[in-house]
Amino acid sequence: MTEPMSRERSSFRERSSLLNLMLVLLASLLLVGVTSLLLGAGDVGPLAAWSVLTGGGSDEARFVVESLRLPRTLIGVAVGMALGVAGSLIQAVARNPLAEPGLLGVSAGSALAVAIALVLGASAATLRISVAQLGALAGCLFVLAMARVNGVGNDPVRLVLAGAILSGLLGALTSLLLLVDQRSADEIRFWVIGSLAGRRLEDLRAILPSLLFAGVLIVAIARPLAALALGERVAVGLGHHPRWIRLLCVIAVAILVGAATAVAGPIAFVGLVVPFVARALAGPDIRRTLWLALPLGPIMILCADILARLLVAPSEMPLGVITALVGAPVLIAVVRAHRLPAL
Amino acid sequence: MKTRTLTPPACLMNRPEAGVTPPSGSWRLSWALGERDYSILIERRACFVCLGLLVALLAVSLLSLCLGTLTLSPREALAGVFGHGDPVNAFVVQELRLVRLAAGVATGAAFSLSGCLMQTLARNRLATPGIVGIDNGATAFAVASVVGLGTSLAPPPMALAGAATATAITFALANDVGTRGYRFIVTGIGVGAVFGALTQLLMARVAIDTANAAYPWTVGSLNARDGAALVWLWCGLAIGLVVACYLSRAMRILRFSDAVAQGLGYRVRACRYTALVVSVALAALAVAVAGPVGLVGLIGPEIARQLSSHRGVSLIASALSGAIVMVAADLVGRLLLAPIEVPVGIVTAIVGAPFLLWILLRPAPRFQS
Repeated sequence: MTEPMSRERSSFRERSSLLNLMLVLLASLLLVGVTSLLLGAGDVGPLAAWSVLTGGGSDEARFVVESLRLPRTLIGVAVGMALGVAGSLIQAVARNPLAEPGLLGVSAGSALAVAIALVLGASAATLRISVAQLGALAGCLFVLAMARVNGVGNDPVRLVLAGAILSGLLGALTSLLLLVDQRSADEIRFWVIGSLAGRRLEDLRAILPSLLFAGVLIVAIARPLAALALGERVAVGLGHHPRWIRLLCVIAVAILVGAATAVAGPIAFVGLVVPFVARALAGPDIRRTLWLALPLGPIMILCADILARLLVAPSEMPLGVITALVGAPVLIAVVRAHRLPAL
Repeated sequence: MKTRTLTPPACLMNRPEAGVTPPSGSWRLSWALGERDYSILIERRACFVCLGLLVALLAVSLLSLCLGTLTLSPREALAGVFGHGDPVNAFVVQELRLVRLAAGVATGAAFSLSGCLMQTLARNRLATPGIVGIDNGATAFAVASVVGLGTSLAPPPMALAGAATATAITFALANDVGTRGYRFIVTGIGVGAVFGALTQLLMARVAIDTANAAYPWTVGSLNARDGAALVWLWCGLAIGLVVACYLSRAMRILRFSDAVAQGLGYRVRACRYTALVVSVALAALAVAVAGPVGLVGLIGPEIARQLSSHRGVSLIASALSGAIVMVAADLVGRLLLAPIEVPVGIVTAIVGAPFLLWILLRPAPRFQS
């Protein structure tokens, strides 16, 4: 008699704690977003930017905030969401707390695909997104195929090692292509290092449909994915099809990573840090991780972007440098944990 | 099995003691110096492998002297080396290609020897300085010295300091997980990623001209080798080779468990530290010349291992095959897209990464269990 009630109460408490967490994280995301609008490398200081936000300000400040910093911040939010969610998904599907799109070669695959398309003569922005997504899909499938060879997938650390080697290879091929073709090298030099600088709102509009599509896909597979975390047999017993879930999951990851890479270039380590923090905050359930990844990813990207603007002002720094400085220690911490947390 | 004793040159006195016959497949050289008798065993196969590799290295070197924007016949190239023949040829060969060749041979041998030593002492086939982040540490410090970060040290000593720092961090982090498994490698990759990011940070902070001066260090190229650093490297390589020869017997035993090595009378700790110091120093000096081309440190020893027998740790053969790989990769990089030069780091990455994947993905060999 008391048992269902207590379970209900505990689930209510969990839900409300998740809600509180989300509220806190959303508030801090808002804070970081406003900070990103206020701070910058140029002459427009925080005070001038604030007066723009409250409806006044000079023309110059208005231009800087509305046409430079606002698109950048919005794109940072979208890219952060995509990368954080993709990281959580790929960790769930590989059952590996170290899996990360950037480390496993998914981002490198989409960068290589874009480089190939450019060398072959393509240049249209819309083409770039679908090409990047196809490249990401190829990278994903290659990594998952590798995971099946000789039990690599059973050893999380070995899989990450294979992925790191793969992304090194793809990166070298990309640089080789860029050496061959100077024109495309100039076109994507500032893209291939990973940065949010100089992106326009049209870029965001171009990736929005695929982000929405991936969102719908994820809503559809979230419950089966949580069942899959309990083991393949449990998932089959609950009436799910593990093979299809995995395939859909990989497609969602490819769409998300491809879109993020098409806009911002390859950025590593976000998909590692975000699920790591989310699990530390709310436990191992994939659905909670996915919810928390939505604000956590943008927070990380925006913080990194603010630092990238300020550290070497007036020039810019690649975003991936900052994320690597944060993410590599997390990687080491996870590897050194005596028992890798099983996913 | 037949055994054969070598008739030594006149300066060496051969004293075959009764009952002491060398094991099959090797020569025993013995001589007396003062009161004591000395003898060494030379494996016949290792000897032939080294000779073969030396011939191959000479052939590749000659090719590398001949080919380029200006194609020379072997005879012209050799004449150029000694300053005879056409003055233009002599200039091209002596001033451009010979220095480049010297840099290629030295860096290849140093990376490969360093990789072989570290693989043996960590008992881990993937543990080469390039993979566990030591090259990146050296690169970060060398770049710091070029972009002038309040220090006036030249790149080689700075690279040494950086490599030592990265080694200290990686090995300290591995202290409780050990160096055998994949965790050590991924820890090293993490350390390397941090140093790589620091390098980028340094490059981003300075003016574009200074950044261009430091650029070769970030991709790995023999194009911008610096004379002083090359001298440092050759000196280091000479010392390293002598120490490596001295250590080679101990390295052979270090592959077994510490208890076995100690029981056989080796000072395991001292051997391991010496090998580590030599390995890290060689990697750092090579980085100061050519930047992080660390995959050579994995390919070279692997070729040597395939050629030699299972018994020994083939340090000399590793150094030779590393030099061959480096010179050949540089040659390919120069010719592939001429007149554009592909940095040697990219060539080795494209060749080495599939090879690395093969090491990782093949079925686990039984004798390693």
